[in-house]
Amino acid sequence: MSADNAAEIGVRPAREKIALLPHFRDLVLISVIGWALQLIATDMSPIAALGGMAGLYAICAGGLVLARFAPFYLPSVAWISLLGIAATVPFVPWDQAVLGVVEEIDFLALSVPCLAYAGLAVSRDEVTIAKRTGWKLAVIAVFVLAGTYLGSAVIADLVLRITD
Amino acid sequence: MHVLIDAVKLWRLHLAVAVIAIVAQLIGIRQISLGNGAILFLPLLYAFLIGVLLNPNVMAKAAVFIRQREVRAASPLIVVAIMPFIAKFGTTIGPAVEDLVDAGPALLLQEIGNLGTVALAFPIAVWVLRMGRESIGATFSVAREPNIAIIADRYGLKSPEGTGVMGVYVVGTLFGTLIFAVMASMLATFDLLDPQALAMACGVGSGSMMASCTGALSEALPEMSDTIVAMAGASNLLTYATGMYLGLFVALPFVEWLYSKARPANPVSKEAPA
Repeated sequence: MSADNAAEIGVRPAREKIALLPHFRDLVLISVIGWALQLIATDMSPIAALGGMAGLYAICAGGLVLARFAPFYLPSVAWISLLGIAATVPFVPWDQAVLGVVEEIDFLALSVPCLAYAGLAVSRDEVTIAKRTGWKLAVIAVFVLAGTYLGSAVIADLVLRITD
Repeated sequence: MHVLIDAVKLWRLHLAVAVIAIVAQLIGIRQISLGNGAILFLPLLYAFLIGVLLNPNVMAKAAVFIRQREVRAASPLIVVAIMPFIAKFGTTIGPAVEDLVDAGPALLLQEIGNLGTVALAFPIAVWVLRMGRESIGATFSVAREPNIAIIADRYGLKSPEGTGVMGVYVVGTLFGTLIFAVMASMLATFDLLDPQALAMACGVGSGSMMASCTGALSEALPEMSDTIVAMAGASNLLTYATGMYLGLFVALPFVEWLYSKARPANPVSKEAPA
């Protein structure tokens, strides 16, 4: 991705600089694709789906700005998560307004473009590693993923049983 | 204007993603029944699969449309493309904040469950498959980007530990969404563990694995969809915050110690990073 001059204002050398304009641009493209997917996945009208995507866009853009300029560093996805929460917790006056816009959006359809980019992004190196990895590491990888999932699920289940 | 011209130059990539995503969404959610359980196949899985099949590094013929330039440009767009999804997750966490406070102890303690990678995979690596120091890098974490950084920093990626973490990373990248969809949909239909617990466990610090996991769970248990999304999202946010520290200060020292007990003759390498 190209660096953009407009994003160089307010230099903070200590942290990785996010080039805001290219991110905003890419988010527009991704939101347009996402809008089309919402029309397939939900019963929303084109206008309502556009509103929903615009609402999510605003949260993402806000998160990127915070990741770029906030006095302490958090990854942009963490800022976006926090902004999404702050926009909809019950004790803020605007929660119902925000929910009215984004509530009908189908979250699963939102994840589809990301995985399409991920499939197209598989690099030559990754293909080489996958071929070289051998069956033992592939088996271990399955147990690693199962281990983190079962470990967390069993502990959560036990704690929920005790605290309920 | 440069910003716009750069995007137009990548029209092949964005057009391919638009077509892939629409085809995947039109196929929709499919399921295979297995006795009492069911395995769900989600649009995001097809999107990844079609993307891989159109990738010139996997299918040489795909190079007529998708070139190395598009492949390189696609990589940073993965993070951008997950952002609207993360934002939507945030807006589902907000209204459920009281439920989350109620579930707080479970939510916090299940982060320790990420050590399940060690509990389950390490014994298999060392005693069943008789693997060497690869076991350390392979099993101390779920091998996402922050964990690769830890191994790269301590051993270098050309070391056996580096081979271990990269191998699991690549397998996770290629098959993680499928594995999580299968696990979540089967456990949801088996009715052994609390669905809230299954939802919390979905937050492993990887957006696409969480998407697949929560998608499968909420399709299997549609009446609990909002709770599932809120629990998974909150847990994933916690993992973003804690995962690297758990790996660095708890899991890795623990696995190193275990390995030194399991293979006293083949000590953990302490050399400087390559």
